[in-house]
Amino acid sequence: MENYKIILFLCNWGPHAAYQGLQDNGYQIPSEIKMVSIPCTGRISKAILFKAFEMGADGVAIVGCCSGACRYGSGTDTAENNTIDTRSILELLGMGQERMRLATFLPDESTALKDFLADFCQQIKMLGKSPVSPVQPTSQDMPPETVQQVLTRHDAYSCQDCGKCTASCPLALSGKSYSPRTLVNSIIQGNGNREQIYKDLQACLTCGICFERCPSDVNFPEFVRDMRGVLFQADGMESGRQPHGGFFQSLMRTMTSPALKTSRWDWLPDDIRLDDQSPILFFGGCAPYFDVFFRRHQKVQTRDIIADSLRLLNFFDVQPRLLPSERCCGHDLLWSGDRVNFMRLAKLNVEMIQDLGVKTVITACPECYQTLSTQYVLQGLSPAFTVTHLYDFLEKEIDKGAVNFKQLDRKITYQDACRLNRMENVRELPRKLVRRLSVKNFSEMKDAGQSALCCGNCAWTGCDAHSKALQVKRIRQAKETGSDLMVTSCPKCQIHLRCAMEDPFLGEELKMEMVDLTTLIAKTIYYD
Amino acid sequence: MTKEIQKQEVIVTGFGGQGIVLAGKILGMAAALGDHKESTLVQSYGPESRGGACCAQVIISNRIIQYPYVKTADALICMSQSAYEKYKDQLKPEGYLITDRDLVTPDGCREFFDIPATRMAEELGRKMMANIIMLGFVTAITALVSKAAAQEAVQSSVPKGTEEMNLKAFTKGFEYGVSKLKGKEKKATGQIGVTS
Repeated sequence: MENYKIILFLCNWGPHAAYQGLQDNGYQIPSEIKMVSIPCTGRISKAILFKAFEMGADGVAIVGCCSGACRYGSGTDTAENNTIDTRSILELLGMGQERMRLATFLPDESTALKDFLADFCQQIKMLGKSPVSPVQPTSQDMPPETVQQVLTRHDAYSCQDCGKCTASCPLALSGKSYSPRTLVNSIIQGNGNREQIYKDLQACLTCGICFERCPSDVNFPEFVRDMRGVLFQADGMESGRQPHGGFFQSLMRTMTSPALKTSRWDWLPDDIRLDDQSPILFFGGCAPYFDVFFRRHQKVQTRDIIADSLRLLNFFDVQPRLLPSERCCGHDLLWSGDRVNFMRLAKLNVEMIQDLGVKTVITACPECYQTLSTQYVLQGLSPAFTVTHLYDFLEKEIDKGAVNFKQLDRKITYQDACRLNRMENVRELPRKLVRRLSVKNFSEMKDAGQSALCCGNCAWTGCDAHSKALQVKRIRQAKETGSDLMVTSCPKCQIHLRCAMEDPFLGEELKMEMVDLTTLIAKTIYYD
Repeated sequence: MTKEIQKQEVIVTGFGGQGIVLAGKILGMAAALGDHKESTLVQSYGPESRGGACCAQVIISNRIIQYPYVKTADALICMSQSAYEKYKDQLKPEGYLITDRDLVTPDGCREFFDIPATRMAEELGRKMMANIIMLGFVTAITALVSKAAAQEAVQSSVPKGTEEMNLKAFTKGFEYGVSKLKGKEKKATGQIGVTS
């Protein structure tokens, strides 16, 4: 018989009494149920709930007190929201939202609890084993690198200690006592405070402005990425330290399971025309997950970018196909130091895309673009397809002419995405498109193009008060241009800058409308 | 067996110096050399070549052409307002009116196809290539000559060393034309934007 694993998060208060009542009466708790006693359901974040699935749980039940009977007031309400979100994520992953349930019991409801447990076990068995197999290191995985190897590969020894990196680092400029060159030197000397080194490596935004300025050409972002990899394999990453409790890393690791059949396209509007024989594939990216996760925080609607990209392709008579069980491109795993799982994702993606016989992959996400087109090759894969950014496609088509843009009565400014701007040197292309729009005015922020400021976070790693300060600075720069609409090109810029706009102390001062360039083009373009 | 006569009369017109006559010549050459039809060209001489209204009359036919002057035109290609005013009445009601968007404002009583050829040529770096861009556009919009024949004729008519650049200009105009036709099609379906 297959060995099912069902995790039961059981609140210490009401339902625990009911649970004990069952045990007192000699009821055998089904053997597949592993009970974890918790202080309150409200303390079990989406990250913890999801972690269970990442580790191979077939089902997760969270059992707390009835709303209103919560010892801490709002615990059950929080749990309800977390459950809705986690279930939506499970649905997008194609695992089925039924694998997760929330239930509430009063201390004397032993029988109801018994029935619930029996019913849940039954349901999980009907759904079958989880398609997620917990990640185990295998012999095929790359052997961990040493600190020495990373130092040598990036020639970090050539650091001249000039300090240009610190002087340009947006984190240092927003007041954090953080210095790339100090970090490099303490790693070289090998006698630094390990804890501090760890924190500093986590803090780097990998935005690349230091690399741009470095006279010795030390690629600090990649150095940080690979050092994170060393630490990841040596110490194991403490996921609790990562923003959002490591939820996103967990999510992306889950997607390395080959048996997982994601269903991230069910929400696509009906007006989009697809052709599953097309030689052109559109790679959407993880935006649908982000929207679910940040549903109640910032009204993030980044998946609209995917819909609008597809509509624009249709507009120019391209009917692309989609990867039926598309996964994350692996960007965040790579940059948060989990190279082993990045490689698993990358291999899966390349295999799936090539199996379809696709020749061209178009994507609108800067991270997917950079990862698919450049990193896959750098990391030793040889994909047999070309990767095009949607902007490239649009510029070529619009340049052919006969299209025009509706007048938009807005003043706009443009936020650079680091993956396009610095890593791929794509900074003129989006501006060319922006200038084609018929808007009242387009003005650049004080720091734009090569010296553009980061949105404050990358790869869901290292977010703190200084990241926030940096975001506030960026939004103020945008406001100073006199613009009333900020045009972005990366879903994450939207998420992070919106987060800063929620600041309760600065309030209205930071509010500014944001729109993705793709969406803006889709909204205004027409055949002349 | 007598073949049905398929004769098309074209007037290319604009300012002297815009390459109007060359455009007419290329059109005729493409028809004769590339598409193996008959063609004639009558070009206007005189003060036009110093900046007035200039005109090239091209006739393309699958039979021998007896009379080389255009009586009523099947296509009127205008690259200046004064030329438009002068020749607009010679165009057949169902004929193609093709204009340079920035130089000609048609009086609006008929459908027309426009392209900012001169502006596009400026963007390409040479204003004098506007005629070639126009030619590409005409090739896409009308079925006067085939694309391959037109490209061949462009290549053999322009000065040595500028072939590649002129072909680029031709392609630019051609693609604009294809896109224009597509836009027209979309307009017919009622959806010109992405969603509406």
